[in-house]
Amino acid sequence: MTDFLDPLPWLIVLPLAWGTLAFVLGPGRGGRLAVAAIALQGALALQLAGQLIDSGARVYAVGGWGASLGIDLMADGLAVVMLLLTQAVALPLAVYARGYFAASPKGRELFWPLTGFLLAALNALFLSADLFNIYVTLELLGLAAVGLVAIAGGTQPVTAAMRYLLATLLGSGAWLLGVALIYGTYGSVSLAVLTPLIHSGAPLAVPLAAALMLAGLLLKTALFPFHFWLPPAHGGAPAPVSALLSALVIKATFYLALRLWLELFLPLTTVAAAQLLGALGAAAILWGSVLALMQSRLKMLVAYSTVAQVGYLFLLFPLATQVPPAAAESALAGGVMQAVAHGLAKAAMFAAAGSMIVATGRDDIGHLGGVGVRLPLTLFSFGLAGVTLMGLPPSGGFSAKWLLLGSALETGQWWWVVVMIVGGLLTAAYVFKVLRRAFLPRAAGDRVARVPRTLEFSAFALALASILLGLFGAPLLELLAVGRAA
Amino acid sequence: MKAWRTALTALLCAGLALALGAAMLALPGFAVRLPGQVAANLDDSGVAHPVTAVLLNFRGYDTLLEVAVLLLALLGVFALSLHGSGHARPSAPAHPVLQTLARLLAPLMVLVAGYLLWIGAHAPGGAFQAGAVLAAAGVLLRLAGLLPAWAQPGRLLRGGLALGLLVFLAVAAAALAQGSLLQYPLAYAGPLILLVEAGLTLSIGLTLAGLYLASAGWRQ
Repeated sequence: MTDFLDPLPWLIVLPLAWGTLAFVLGPGRGGRLAVAAIALQGALALQLAGQLIDSGARVYAVGGWGASLGIDLMADGLAVVMLLLTQAVALPLAVYARGYFAASPKGRELFWPLTGFLLAALNALFLSADLFNIYVTLELLGLAAVGLVAIAGGTQPVTAAMRYLLATLLGSGAWLLGVALIYGTYGSVSLAVLTPLIHSGAPLAVPLAAALMLAGLLLKTALFPFHFWLPPAHGGAPAPVSALLSALVIKATFYLALRLWLELFLPLTTVAAAQLLGALGAAAILWGSVLALMQSRLKMLVAYSTVAQVGYLFLLFPLATQVPPAAAESALAGGVMQAVAHGLAKAAMFAAAGSMIVATGRDDIGHLGGVGVRLPLTLFSFGLAGVTLMGLPPSGGFSAKWLLLGSALETGQWWWVVVMIVGGLLTAAYVFKVLRRAFLPRAAGDRVARVPRTLEFSAFALALASILLGLFGAPLLELLAVGRAA
Repeated sequence: MKAWRTALTALLCAGLALALGAAMLALPGFAVRLPGQVAANLDDSGVAHPVTAVLLNFRGYDTLLEVAVLLLALLGVFALSLHGSGHARPSAPAHPVLQTLARLLAPLMVLVAGYLLWIGAHAPGGAFQAGAVLAAAGVLLRLAGLLPAWAQPGRLLRGGLALGLLVFLAVAAAALAQGSLLQYPLAYAGPLILLVEAGLTLSIGLTLAGLYLASAGWRQ
């Protein structure tokens, strides 16, 4: 009976089941079911985290066969941190989405089934320890995300969805080509079997496969200069969709890049390649922030902010490659903390932006006057999320940047410190651009309606979580260390 | 500018092709021999055909997720047609010869699908092939003007589309009581795989046909 209640497989089965049931229930139905099921998923993820703290990382053989014949799942600290982030972001967003689609029904018909499949894909991806199985989860994730971008209809979102589809398929194709090369070399696709084989000798096909897989992941993560598809896709979708995509979907491919870099392909990593990834990250921070500052549409501003914040994630690579282990662990903790903090804060920011757009009836920063009076809690949430993105204490973003800064100074790579400080200032500039407008009095002819309470409070919960992460982040870092050889 | 881009793309493709070729020539022998492992465990899989054993048992979890991908593709088509013009694709004028042929062929195609489903346990065949034949029957009937396009899939049709995935999930979850996800009890592996494949045949057939028939989309 204990096997039956094991949280690990249910984290994948449950969202698949409720996504399918929401589809059978019919257009726009299934919201209440989704909220209840995601709450249960959150409890399962917490239970799994407890198991890890008590007894270390877990390997789970699906079908009882074990690698290489069957497929293994693996839950270590890094995977479970991402699982916790996924459910923690999804639950408030599901509550938010019920209110949002009641106020603005465009796109509600297919939101719940697609979201169920999206969450199943994320959970399955974080738990997978099999290169081909990861490809299947990438396809599930990509198609669910593309469908969600398209649900609002209209020329602009459908064009953005098609462009996103081509980008994500190209990324998956590159991954699959890499997997084929790896299988052709060693005859297995299991991470546990492949890791010692690659560490003891890699013929030419392996670095080629590594480069292809990493390039595919960078495209899907929208790292500069591969960010072209992200702003129209994230900026054009309904607000709950933008929040899910920016907070979670791009983190999944970042997570895979991190796993490949730190584990499977570790012997192939070079300082030059790591510096290149860091340089792309730095370019993303500067370019994304400047473009965010130039936007006149609120959601496009938040979307370009995602382009910039993705850059911080990739600063982890030069800081963790061929440096003393303590500095590398600090960089990893900083990078993962940044992924979690940005996930919570960006979900809050898109949710708050969606509420402002529902209230003012248009997506235009120039017409936000009066929002500060009418929607104080929403504006406060936007500001709190901004505090996390800027990296001000005591937020989770501060902890992340503090760890990354410490690691940069310790390894003598001062140039990343400059990038992080300039990026923080630019972030402050675009956040204050929105706040300043929202505090101005309402212009003649503009309207600012009230929005349902659930919209305001779910955004606030996410923003508050991103701040509290800075104060209570220690258990998360303890969890992250589970299963990592010290 | 355009010529430059073409030249650059061609150069990149040629470089990748050369690198792939060089990698192929340098491939060593396999360190792990999966075909041997499949053959060694075939007796415990519940079926006699290695492809079906891999698809539904050894790597059944991949197939479970792929069935979800298939349904998701149809949801994507619904999403794209959601706020479109919404008019059904004009059906061809009903041709009496085509209609008669379709009426004759459709029952045979259903029979072939059933045969492919059954034979999958010990010869090439199985749910995907059977579903593809079912879908072809649906498309043929639509082309002959004997089947309407899906203006709005009703609950019965939605249930049919979801049935395969739901049965597969239920079997996978029921196996948790025995050990792990999708771990069929040895004695029932054959019948359970047949049950899953029967559900999948119907749903895959409907989904593939739906990619063609759902022209008018999904409306409230």
